[in-house]
Amino acid sequence: MKHNTFLGAVLGAMICSATAYAIEPGEAAPAFTVKNVKGEEVSLADHKDKVVVLEWLNHDCPYVKKHYGSGNMPKLQETYTAKDVVWISINSGAGVDPAALADRSAKEGSKASEVVVDPDGKVGKAYGALTTPQMVVIGKDGKVAYNGAIDSINSTDAADVEKADKHFIVALDAVLEGKTVELAKTKPYGCGVKYAK
Amino acid sequence: MAGMKFSVLFAAGLPLVAPLSLSAAVKSGRAEADLTVGVASYQPGKAFSVAVRLKLDRGWHTYWINPGVGGMPVKATWTLPDGWTAGELQQPVPKRFMTGDLPGFGYEGDVWFLVDLTPPAGATGEVECQLKLVWLTCNENSCVPGDAELSLKLAAGDGSAAQDADSIAEAAKRIPQPADLQFGVTEEKGQLALSLVPQLTSKEDFDLAGVSAFPATPDVVDPGSPIEFKKTGDAWVATVKKSEYAEGPTALLDIVLDGGKLEKPLVVSWRAKE
Repeated sequence: MKHNTFLGAVLGAMICSATAYAIEPGEAAPAFTVKNVKGEEVSLADHKDKVVVLEWLNHDCPYVKKHYGSGNMPKLQETYTAKDVVWISINSGAGVDPAALADRSAKEGSKASEVVVDPDGKVGKAYGALTTPQMVVIGKDGKVAYNGAIDSINSTDAADVEKADKHFIVALDAVLEGKTVELAKTKPYGCGVKYAK
Repeated sequence: MAGMKFSVLFAAGLPLVAPLSLSAAVKSGRAEADLTVGVASYQPGKAFSVAVRLKLDRGWHTYWINPGVGGMPVKATWTLPDGWTAGELQQPVPKRFMTGDLPGFGYEGDVWFLVDLTPPAGATGEVECQLKLVWLTCNENSCVPGDAELSLKLAAGDGSAAQDADSIAEAAKRIPQPADLQFGVTEEKGQLALSLVPQLTSKEDFDLAGVSAFPATPDVVDPGSPIEFKKTGDAWVATVKKSEYAEGPTALLDIVLDGGKLEKPLVVSWRAKE
């Protein structure tokens, strides 16, 4: 009896959230193939058995500037790609010029494994990417382990980076250590992803 | 010469020392910020209101205390003389809008926030109160942050009204005030049932038909979910979708009510029993 009630609540919660949020932690990460800024194909399937980070970005967004301007994002990219994490930065905006994004990424000091474009927004919508930045961690098992904010302080002030609770990094470290992610879903903060209309 | 200057000023009715001086408006990003004070001097121990005003460029919006998805509330940080205190940034009734696909709450045009500043009982002389204001403006295509450092200087006195007292009083009419209503919240399967029952006398006159309702507490009510109250017996009830980012059972919720037959905007507060 108790079990049934619990199952009902879980199903109810899943149904309610299905429309608003495309992918929940614990679900299989949707497959995708997109082009990087050099015009080469990048597939999630190429990185089986690796921990993958998806980072939504738009360098014109002040929240993204906070994390690149402070050096936080490039530092994280450098630190975690050195730990064999595949880090894919995604711009899901409409009308993004790949060459311009390549130049901008270099200028901003990006150390991501790949910088890719998603002009029709399919990948962004499959993962429920709402804002830039937004962070997703995919475990070696191919399941979404974290989806949400980079940290806890909704501001554009670089001085807040150090003060914030680092939700995304805590989740990523847990995945790398084979531990359970305690906080697997948080509300992302940032600019809205500028999807094609 | 000095005497002559004195007499000219005096004849023009200008005071020798300006009782009140305000920093000039600051344009930053897509908005202009300034301060308005309704008193000519401060009275020790007595709170007075200051308006923090943001004039937004056409086509841009800024955010309420509950910004919805994306966006950021306006942040005010005061630097005050010893013993002085500043109340919270009181926010007027917001609008609902969409930024691309994201539902949010906030303001367009000319926004008047209010803050109560309270001098200590023993305050004397001329003082300077400084404000650091930080905001975010967005439109369909981009977001631009803004910030301003503003200040006001006031001398001690009788706290009598200044020219802008009327503007402050007008701004205060848009700040929701606590309502004498019994507000209940129950939760089931991702939905929140809200009920409002009027207390005391005006039960029959109380009418929420056509009222706009806004969730002031972030991440409790889904910001895209409309809140429409309908009359059931003595109560006015609404069912809303719970925020997908709510952590655990709902513990508190403030709702702002405005428009319809309400004379003034109201705020109702609910707290879970421990």
